[in-house]
Amino acid sequence: MTQVAPAGPRSGRRVGQVESITVSRFAPFRSAAVTAVNLLVFFVVWELVARTGVINPLFFPRASEMFAALYHGFADGTIWPQLAHSLTNFLVGLVISAVIGIPVGLLMGASRIADLILSPYVWAMTSLPRVALIPLLILIMGFDNSMQLTIIVLSAVFPIMVNCMAGVKTVDPSLLRAGRVFGTDRVQSYTKIIFPFTLPFVIAGVNQGIARGLVGMLIGELLGGGGNGLGFLLNRAGQQFDAPMLYAVLLLLAVMSVSLIQTMRWLEQRAAPWRAGAAG
Amino acid sequence: MVYVGIPRAEPPARQDSTPPDPTAPDPTAPDPTVPDPTVPDPTAPDPTVPGLACAGATSAGATSAGSALIEMVDVSAGYDNRRERTRLVALRDISLRVGRGEFLAIVGPSGCGKTTLINMIAGFVTPLTGTVTVRGEPVEGPGADRAMVFQDYALLPWRTVERNVEFAIENRRGRVPGPERRRRIDRALELVGLAGFEKSYPHELSGGMRQRVGIARALVGEPEILLMDEPFGAVDAMTREAMQAELEKIIAETRQTVVFITHSIDEAITLGDRIVVVASRPGTIREIIDVDLPRPRFDPRHDIKRSGRFGEIRGHLWDLLSGEALGAGAGAATSSEGETR
Repeated sequence: MTQVAPAGPRSGRRVGQVESITVSRFAPFRSAAVTAVNLLVFFVVWELVARTGVINPLFFPRASEMFAALYHGFADGTIWPQLAHSLTNFLVGLVISAVIGIPVGLLMGASRIADLILSPYVWAMTSLPRVALIPLLILIMGFDNSMQLTIIVLSAVFPIMVNCMAGVKTVDPSLLRAGRVFGTDRVQSYTKIIFPFTLPFVIAGVNQGIARGLVGMLIGELLGGGGNGLGFLLNRAGQQFDAPMLYAVLLLLAVMSVSLIQTMRWLEQRAAPWRAGAAG
Repeated sequence: MVYVGIPRAEPPARQDSTPPDPTAPDPTAPDPTVPDPTVPDPTAPDPTVPGLACAGATSAGATSAGSALIEMVDVSAGYDNRRERTRLVALRDISLRVGRGEFLAIVGPSGCGKTTLINMIAGFVTPLTGTVTVRGEPVEGPGADRAMVFQDYALLPWRTVERNVEFAIENRRGRVPGPERRRRIDRALELVGLAGFEKSYPHELSGGMRQRVGIARALVGEPEILLMDEPFGAVDAMTREAMQAELEKIIAETRQTVVFITHSIDEAITLGDRIVVVASRPGTIREIIDVDLPRPRFDPRHDIKRSGRFGEIRGHLWDLLSGEALGAGAGAATSSEGETR
């Protein structure tokens, strides 16, 4: 961060300078190390508790069994095609949601009329539990993959839309006034003020879209009966009393969602550094 | 900056001269009644107003006495509340002339309509009655001849310091072409003491530094008029003094006409050639005071605030405003709407 040096004797004005400070070389790795140890302890405790047998191993396998199931699942090709199916579906659904949700949300934020017309439907769809749509979607599309994709889009598109709208609506009015003072026309006030201001909201919306979209993906696969995807694996493992595989898929889902959310968080900090840890 | 302090070859304005604009109403015409059900009719107009409203012609500090750059004639302004079908009158019977090169300070209690006044000159607010003219032309919106410095800085947080300054000269109106643009930005940053901070982001700077960016942005387009709406209201007291001194120095160099809103009496006296005291509810001009203190006001050899004349003006302003503040207390809740921006 920039430091302000005392007024220089030469010009009598403040001169900025950045001073270097000494920081341990290992500082960036410290939190990663803590997380690694933390997880290691977690799995060891899990293993030990499971080995005592106080909990029925039918639904509480040892951690080592879970990792074994994960390994064999990848080795014999039971997991990978399902994971690929789910990931592809999810990413395609997310892209469709963004392509629809961002422009519509921006339009709703910018145009009072668009907002008036669209908002009842958007809010109804935002608050409606997505599971309720499954029977209807199956009726319309059957057990086709398009049904699974549709439920992902319906889950993810509305949070994206609502956030984009909120971004445009909460744009700092004094920035718009500054724009008028300094000669922006209508188009420029959008491209130079409103859209940049909205960018972090768009990212936040996509973030929520990811969380909701994952839920949509799973309910589509669990209830849609399409016979593929991670949800199908979960279902089958449950029916076969294959607890290690059940836990393995859950672990995969956790890793998947955490890494997606972390990617977005990283993106958010890159896109809007002034929002994170602004000094004074 | 290009402005030099040569007065234009215009005849000195007469005390009762109407502006050249034929659409402007005759100031001697009967007082226009403001269509407003919520505010009772004013009593007889303040007798101090008409005589003092033209004091710009004799202002000690104005570099070109006589040529009014900004002129407000019988202006009133207000805000409609459509839900309650009422209109809050923020300003009434404002007649004011600002001379070319003059530094006009406006003081008054919060909610008195100071911001509305400056917003009319900026072109954000259209008066209900009366006319606001700049160089004789009615104000019909913001223009490149008027730049504004905002209390809350209003910088674009995603832009660096230099890109924020560039913002003022890159848009459709007031656009400056490439190489000249670079030169202007560097000059403006130099002027406010921000050379070396070109690549910093606003969130990396202190409040005072951010407002320097705001001032540089206002200066870079070389506007004739600088509108400053409590620019130092959000910076700490020490920084505030330093920035006042620098502002005086900058203005001495650029020779701009400044309309400066403040609620600090000391700030008004140390900076202003004249001080307009605005009374509240609805806002009217209570008095216009000539500040006959020598410039530069910020002289390291002697502190102007210790001079007897400063104390006199200060005491007079204090008497005016403390009465105002007490009087305005009763309606403070509603009067704050008068300053919504």
